[in-house]
Amino acid sequence: MDALFLLLPISLLFVLGIGVAFWWAIFSGQFDDTRDAAVAILDDDDRTHAK
Amino acid sequence: MEEHCALRTMGEGARVLLIYINVCSWWAGYSWPMRAPSLFTPPPHMTDAMRRARRHMLARTGLAWLVMMQVMMLAFPGYLRHSARAPDAQLALEQAIVLMNWLSLILCVPLILYCAWPVWRGAWHDLSRQRIGMDVPVALGILAAFVPSVVATWRDVGEVYFDSVSMFVAFLLTARFLETCARQAVSGQPHGARDAELLRSADRLAFWFVCIQILLAILVGLYWWNVQPDQALAVTVALLVMSCPCAMSMSVPAALAARQAVRLRTGAGDGGDPAVLDRAMRRVAHQNLYGSLAWHLLMVPLAACGWVQPWLAAITMLLSSLAVAANAWRLARPAAGGTAGRQSAAQPV
Repeated sequence: MDALFLLLPISLLFVLGIGVAFWWAIFSGQFDDTRDAAVAILDDDDRTHAK
Repeated sequence: MEEHCALRTMGEGARVLLIYINVCSWWAGYSWPMRAPSLFTPPPHMTDAMRRARRHMLARTGLAWLVMMQVMMLAFPGYLRHSARAPDAQLALEQAIVLMNWLSLILCVPLILYCAWPVWRGAWHDLSRQRIGMDVPVALGILAAFVPSVVATWRDVGEVYFDSVSMFVAFLLTARFLETCARQAVSGQPHGARDAELLRSADRLAFWFVCIQILLAILVGLYWWNVQPDQALAVTVALLVMSCPCAMSMSVPAALAARQAVRLRTGAGDGGDPAVLDRAMRRVAHQNLYGSLAWHLLMVPLAACGWVQPWLAAITMLLSSLAVAANAWRLARPAAGGTAGRQSAAQPV
């Protein structure tokens, strides 16, 4: 029972941390366009390296 | 051609892979290199306002799911309360329940204030114009479950419904997020008169549905209050949760977005017979609309009898919204089943 007084605040801190990280990821645009980011490597212009 | 040098240094496997990728991206067309556009892909030219709205919806939905998972876990001891056990174990359990209720309350405050903010804004917007919209029963349902739970936590007597509140908000926001995506996907498109008429008829149906549901929830709640007061709150909350026409309000936008996805994939104008596609879209929209209505009508008597707990009502609401999205996706599914899918598969890409 006493352990709960320690564990519950720790879990609350974890939730806060995850929430803040998620918030930051969204508003720095990481989920804006998942499709084009995935195929961007195929559109890479590598002519300068192929001389 | 320019890959030659790089290819020489690569192994045979990588070369085959690269050729495969090149062939795929050529075959799929340059503008959509790897995958066909889905129902909910962001439209190509998003304005800043649209992007902001999408990000906020996603943040609200994700945070609501995070809170929901925590609160469901914390609510678990409460469900063990009424089974038999030794007196000292019961005492320890009661203490743990008090602690967990307070933690649930702390987690639910940001959920109510931030995640559910569109609900409060929409309900206030409706009420200040003396109208009844979809947000009114939702706001009533959240308040009817949250306020008594706060009082019960404060006084340490009675049941708490924090898990139902958080599930309801999370599932509602999921449905709203899908609806936002579907609406944004078709936002640049001019709507024909028939599409606008379809949207209007769906809104009208949802309006009458909501009015009748609120009235029913109040009447049934009063009946239970007289017969069995300790059940009245749970029944009323379940009915209010089910009165949320989330599935109905996304049924037509999802069908329109599916048609838009088919058009994008098959190329503008030459993708099969537009009349066939239109008919398929209208059929899917009607299926969505009347299917979700039938689902609601089926669940309401069960809830009125007290057989549906608030959390179960929230799950049925999510199920109907997801069914609507899946049905619309059937129309947009590439190259398999569905009239429109077969139609577009017959066309060269």
